[in-house]
Amino acid sequence: MSGPGTLDRTRPPPAEALRPLELPLFHRFRLDNGMRLLVAESSKLPEVSLRLIIEAGASGEPADRGGVAELTGRLLSEGAGPRSALQMAAWLDRLGAAFRARIGYDVAHLSMHFLSDVTPGALDYLRAVVREPAFAEAEVSRVRQERLDEIERQLDQPGILADHRFIRGVYGAHPYGRPVGGRRSTVARLGEKEVRAFHGRRYVPEGAVLIACGAVEAPAFRDAVERRFGDWAGAGSDGALRPPQASAGPGGPILVDRRHAAQAEIRVGRIGLPYGGKDFFPATVANAILGGLFNSRINMNLREDKGWTYGARSVFHFRRRAGPFVVSTAVESGAAAGAFREILAETEGLATRPPEEAELRLAKNALTLSLPRQFETPSLMTRKMVTQQVYALPEDYWETYVDRVEAVGSDEIVEVVRSHMTPESMHLVAVAAAAEVGSALAEFGQVTVEPAEPGEEAESP
Amino acid sequence: MNHADSPRPDWPEVPPGRAEVRFDYEEHRLDNGLRVILHEDRGAPIAAVHLMYHVGSKDEQAGRTGFAHLFEHLLFQGSEHVGDDEHFKLIQNAGGTLNGSTWFDRTNYFETVPSSHLDLALWLESDRMGFFAPSITQEKLDNQRAVVKNERRQAYENQPYGLAFETVLRLAFPEGHPYRHPTIGFMEDLDAATLANVHEFFDLYYGPNNAVLVLAGDFEAADALRRAERYFGEIPSRPRPDPVEVEPPAMDGERREAIFDRVHVPRVYIMYHAPSFNSPEFEASDLLAHLLADGKSSRLHHDLIYDKRVAGEVHAFTWPTESVGMFFLIATARPGVSAPTLEAAMLESVADLRERGLEEAEVAGARNRARRALVQQLNGVGERADAFAHAAVLRGDPGYVNDAFGRYRAVTTEGCERLAGELFTSRRRVVLHVVPEQGKGASA
Repeated sequence: MSGPGTLDRTRPPPAEALRPLELPLFHRFRLDNGMRLLVAESSKLPEVSLRLIIEAGASGEPADRGGVAELTGRLLSEGAGPRSALQMAAWLDRLGAAFRARIGYDVAHLSMHFLSDVTPGALDYLRAVVREPAFAEAEVSRVRQERLDEIERQLDQPGILADHRFIRGVYGAHPYGRPVGGRRSTVARLGEKEVRAFHGRRYVPEGAVLIACGAVEAPAFRDAVERRFGDWAGAGSDGALRPPQASAGPGGPILVDRRHAAQAEIRVGRIGLPYGGKDFFPATVANAILGGLFNSRINMNLREDKGWTYGARSVFHFRRRAGPFVVSTAVESGAAAGAFREILAETEGLATRPPEEAELRLAKNALTLSLPRQFETPSLMTRKMVTQQVYALPEDYWETYVDRVEAVGSDEIVEVVRSHMTPESMHLVAVAAAAEVGSALAEFGQVTVEPAEPGEEAESP
Repeated sequence: MNHADSPRPDWPEVPPGRAEVRFDYEEHRLDNGLRVILHEDRGAPIAAVHLMYHVGSKDEQAGRTGFAHLFEHLLFQGSEHVGDDEHFKLIQNAGGTLNGSTWFDRTNYFETVPSSHLDLALWLESDRMGFFAPSITQEKLDNQRAVVKNERRQAYENQPYGLAFETVLRLAFPEGHPYRHPTIGFMEDLDAATLANVHEFFDLYYGPNNAVLVLAGDFEAADALRRAERYFGEIPSRPRPDPVEVEPPAMDGERREAIFDRVHVPRVYIMYHAPSFNSPEFEASDLLAHLLADGKSSRLHHDLIYDKRVAGEVHAFTWPTESVGMFFLIATARPGVSAPTLEAAMLESVADLRERGLEEAEVAGARNRARRALVQQLNGVGERADAFAHAAVLRGDPGYVNDAFGRYRAVTTEGCERLAGELFTSRRRVVLHVVPEQGKGASA
């Protein structure tokens, strides 16, 4: 044992040899009906993480049926085959399994987590909810009402108000401009007919991908899935989503007035980029430097220097089409204008003060050296493979990820900022007490003050 | 359609769960009193370092609420050999992740790094344990005070129902009780914190003999122990702080209150004084929470959301606190439903459980859900390190991490019923109604 006297505390200990990255091996299968299956065996714990991806995201909704994807997702488990809603609940809960239908813009994610000793029962359950949902009128109207109630409760959450107002301003009528789950006006009109139609057209084997990680044995699992989904038939799917178009100009700041709000919820951003496009890796590294990490420029400025906020972050919501780039924070009311100013300055500053080597190194390391951690558990492995599948990335996407991040140069970051992150293209939204912050925002243009409860949302059901 | 009086579900047959989980670990104590727990897992090439100090908001002095948490923030602001912004920077540069958290009973600091950087995490944690004092300044205190005040605004004051928990605590415990105030603290007390308080607090609570260090992940245990000894061994132990005295709650009658908030619908909080994390009945208490509100077949979900349709959301949970336990039932009203109506429905479900008992299959399902949740909570080395630390600090026994599976399996239907009978009484109860302010749109 080395004595304490030999320890040099004045500098960080150097890294030791790093074990080479070993990503999990995914066995890939395809059933005759087009459904695909990816299985990674990891038997450390007796658990299984499952994700079934279905081409049933909110972007595929007809415009006047906003919310039908979400409503359909929620209703899958509210009665299926011969079982009532209550019996389905009892079945799942008796298994001790977790099931969730999370609807994204691009696809629907049906997730399960369970202990491996109930694997057959969990797969039976999944088969029932995907293939035989009952959509009984009584349950449809109940779940629709639950969804409308939830929309009303969301009006109390300043962060959600800010997110919704932001995407509406950035995307307008494009599907990315409405919240997944829809607005009150369209949800209120949805019924059994619309849900059945959406399910019939969208919940089909073509494009469906089942990803399973954990205590499974790949060939046996494949057979178990084939027995339940091999005779699943149906074809559907409409055309692809159109790319979003930027509006003429963002105009002045939008101020959603929430009287006596204790803080200002701030959003700054615009249309960003799609997943895996040519600017994807430069934008990923740029974002890590600007606001993707604790040590990023915006957080260090707004939190660690100014003390205005508990935290500030930026993110590119990469999707099949260009999802938003957004900086989000909540600051004390008196700092709202300052926050806009500093966020815009830091974003532009990424081009005028390009990252130096150490800053670039940190961002790349944070993205690449974290990979073993990002693949640690079955749930995490599942998530990484979902990304590869949903965005149709190359099969070796994660194997080549490190090299592609490493290849990003400072000049490419400057280029991404100049073409996709200019201050004048940014939409500014604040949800705050207008009396406290209103006049201070005038320096960013004509301020539009709106009530926290826009007319449409305030309507009684 | 109205689902009123729909029967309780028929439970399908499910084979009993047999999946076994066990994590090997060893426990050591350095000469300075630091307890070291080592758990090898050669799966992913990563290692978790978790340092938990046995100090939390319950140890705060009068007039200094929020201080333990504010102090936690200051511990990320550098130490004698670590620059002001270096802590996060070095860990992120290594591809690691990190954070800290404060609660009633403990404060923890943790990072998960590539195993090639185990020493980096040990160096950072040992530097702030052994060499923190010289680096703290008034400027850092003022900056993090502002950050924490904004955390309070963001996470509590500007959130719907955000002040509910601190109100429940105030109702549940008498003036001066260590659990009476929330960990985030109150603004005026945050304002009152001084640099002298920082030094006192550090000297009193941040010695090696008031902490547990857990290393979990890709290393060889004997080698990891040598590394822990190398970085922490020279830090002198301090006099152990006197444990704060926690009076058991009076439980001599219901406490209740109604507060206004800027919300659209009412929410009802019902808290019962309950078994603590240290109690032999903790698992039964946790199972009652699963039975009441985990899953759509659970009692409150079925009765309040599906059947009577008076609630939009229901929650039940028991806090794993060290000295006194708290069991919460929370329900958010549907528009048009009043808080008293909602409360009556909640109490009716609880009374039904108490008086008519539970079905074997219902409890078996809750057991399966609890065991699944346990596995999911323990599947990463960071989560496992956290669990070992909690078990060691709050229960004095890291082996609880493994014993928990058997303990949940051993809870019987009669055990749940007996505990429900004891727990769900008005004298143990605190009731809070959070109701919309006038003119906010709900007909409460």
